[in-house]
Amino acid sequence: MTDRVAWTERLRRHFPWITLTTLVVLVGMTDINFLRPENLLNLAADIVPLLIMAIGMTLVIYIGSIDLSSQSIANMATVLTTIALPSAGGSAGLLVIVAGLAFGAVSGVVTTRLKVPSFISTLAVGGIALSVGQFASGQQALHMDAEQRRHAFGWMVGRTAGIPHELIVALLLVVVAWFIQGRMTAGRTFKAIGAGEPVAVASGIRVERYKILAFALSGMFAAIAGLVFSVKLSGGSPTLAEGFLLPAIVAVLVGGTPLTGGVGGVVNTVIGTMIVAVIRSSMLYLNIPAMGQQIFFGLVLIVAIATTIDRSKMRIVK
Amino acid sequence: MRRFMRRVATMTHGSMMDSIRKWVPFLVLLVLVLFFSAVNPHFLSLRNFARIAVSSSPALMVAVGATFVILMGSIDLSMEGTVAVCAVVFAMLLNRLGGSLAHVGWVAIPGALLAGGVLGAVNGLIHVRLRIPSFMASLSMGFVGVGLSLLMTGGNRILIDDPLFRSLLTVRVLNFPLMAYAALGGLVVAWFIQDNTTIGRNFYAVGGGEELARASGLNVGRVRVIGFVLAGIFFALGAILAVARLGIAETETGQGFMFLSITSVVVGGTGLAGGSGGVWNTLVGVLIVNVIGNGMVVVGLPDYLQDGVLGLLVISAVYLSMDRRSLSFAR
Repeated sequence: MTDRVAWTERLRRHFPWITLTTLVVLVGMTDINFLRPENLLNLAADIVPLLIMAIGMTLVIYIGSIDLSSQSIANMATVLTTIALPSAGGSAGLLVIVAGLAFGAVSGVVTTRLKVPSFISTLAVGGIALSVGQFASGQQALHMDAEQRRHAFGWMVGRTAGIPHELIVALLLVVVAWFIQGRMTAGRTFKAIGAGEPVAVASGIRVERYKILAFALSGMFAAIAGLVFSVKLSGGSPTLAEGFLLPAIVAVLVGGTPLTGGVGGVVNTVIGTMIVAVIRSSMLYLNIPAMGQQIFFGLVLIVAIATTIDRSKMRIVK
Repeated sequence: MRRFMRRVATMTHGSMMDSIRKWVPFLVLLVLVLFFSAVNPHFLSLRNFARIAVSSSPALMVAVGATFVILMGSIDLSMEGTVAVCAVVFAMLLNRLGGSLAHVGWVAIPGALLAGGVLGAVNGLIHVRLRIPSFMASLSMGFVGVGLSLLMTGGNRILIDDPLFRSLLTVRVLNFPLMAYAALGGLVVAWFIQDNTTIGRNFYAVGGGEELARASGLNVGRVRVIGFVLAGIFFALGAILAVARLGIAETETGQGFMFLSITSVVVGGTGLAGGSGGVWNTLVGVLIVNVIGNGMVVVGLPDYLQDGVLGLLVISAVYLSMDRRSLSFAR
C-alpha cells in the first residue's frame, strides 16, 4: 500500500510535463503541421513576454503570496522603454528594469511591513504603475524610431540558426531565475517561507527581507517582459500588455506551483506556460469557433489543474 | 452566540482599541466624505450621493456574494463571468416573454437568480469534489461564464426598455433611485442569512478553523458548496441591478467586478483568511471604494492619476482597518 502511494507520489511530480506532451501529441494528431519544428519555435517565441512575467510571478507564488501588479508594471515598462529610447539608447532597458525592481519592492514593503494582504497591495501598486504609464505616455500609443530601435535592441530581434533571439533571452532569464531558486540562499529561503512562514520566522530567518526580495524580483521580471514586448512591437502604450495577468497566473498554477507555496518552481512554470500556449493555439487547429474559445479554455484549465496539482501536501483545499 | 463570544473576547482583553478598531472602516469612510466635501462642496449634495448609490448598488450585491465565500477562507473570482451570464439570461428571458416585468416577464428575475445559483453550484462542486483551490476553480469558471455569455449573445448588446424595470433607476424615493433600496433589501437578507441561520454561522466556523469545524462534525464540503451557490445568487442580483443601471445586457456587463469587489470586501475589514468580518463591513467597503471613485472625479483629479490614487487610498484604508495583533504575517 505504502509502495503504491509512494509510486503515485513520484509520478505526480511528473504530471505537468506529461500533460504537456499529451496535449502536444493530441493536437499533433489532428494536424501534423502543428508538430513542425518551425511552428513550435514560432509558438515558443510568441509566448516569451508571458513566460518572463510568469517566471517572476512564480517566485511570489512560491512564497505563498500573489502578484497582481505584473501586467501594469509591464505596461508601464513598454511606455518607459519607448520614451527613454531616444535619449538613453540601450540603457533605457536598465532604467526600466530598475523601475520594475522599485515597484516590486514597494509591493513587498507594503505587504510585509504594513501587513496588507498581497492580493490588495499588489493590486494597488499596479494601479500606481498604471497611473505612471498613463501619465508618461499622455494616454496614447507611442512608437519607436526604427533606426534607434535597431541600434539599441537590434540584438533582441532576428534569428540565429533558425532560433529566435528573444527565445534565447527568455532561456537566459529562466536560467537566472532557476539559479536564484535552486542554488542561492534566497531560493532556499523562499521555499522555507512558502512551506511554513511561522517556522521560517522561528528559525531566525529574516523573512521580511526575503519576501520583499521576491516581490522586487517579480516586479523586475514583469518590467523585462514589458521591455521585450515593446521591442517586439516597436512601441509602447499603457494598455499594451493587457490580458497578460490571468494567463501568467494560470501558467504558474498549471505548471504545478500551488497558491499555498513551497512546492513547484521556475521549471514548472516554463512547462505551465507552454501548456497554456498549446491550449490556446490548439483552438485554431481544432477549429473551435471564436465564440466558444473562452469556454474551451476554462474547461481545459479545470482538467489541466485537476490532473497536475499535487494535493498530497494540502490538508485543506481552500 | 457569535456576537456574545465576540463581546466576551472584547471584555476579557478589556481594551478600548478593539471596539474602536471595529469602527475604523466606517471612520475612514467618514473622513473621505469630509475630505472630498472640503475640497469641493458639490460632493456633499443629495444628487451626488444618489449618483454614488447608483454606482454602488450592483457592486454591493456582487461584493456581498463574495463576502460569504471569503468568510469561509476561500475566494470566488468567477463574478465577471457569472454576472455576464446572469445579465444576458435575464435580458433574453425578459425580451422573449413579452418584454415587461408587469406580465410574464417577471419570470426573468427568478430565471437569472437560478442561473447564478447553478453556476455557483458548479463552481463549488468543482472546487470541493475535484479538490481544486477555489482561486483556480472560480477563475476558470469565470472564463467559462464569459464565453457562455458571448455564445448566447453572439457578441451583441441586448437592449431593455421595459419602463417598469427601468424604474429601478428612473423612479426616485427621497431622492434615491429604487435600485438603492433594492440593494439595501438584498443586504438585509444577506445579513439575516449571516447572523440568523445555521449556514451563516457555519461559514464562520469553516473560516475560523476548518479542521476544528470538521472535527466537530460539520460537513465542510456541503457548507462550501452552499457558500458558492449563495455567492452565485447574489452575483445574479448584482447583474440585474447592473442591467437596470445601463439598460443594456452584454458580456461586458460583468467587466471590472472581480478586482473591485474583492478590494471592497477587504477594505471593509473582512479578512481574506476567513472567519472575520461580514456583510455590513462589505457595505462600508463598497461605499469607500465608490466614494473614492466619485470623489476623484468631483474634485477634478486628472483621470490618468485615478488608478494610482485609488491604490494609495486602498492601501491606507486596509492598513488602518486591520486588526494586526492577531496577524503575525500577511500573505
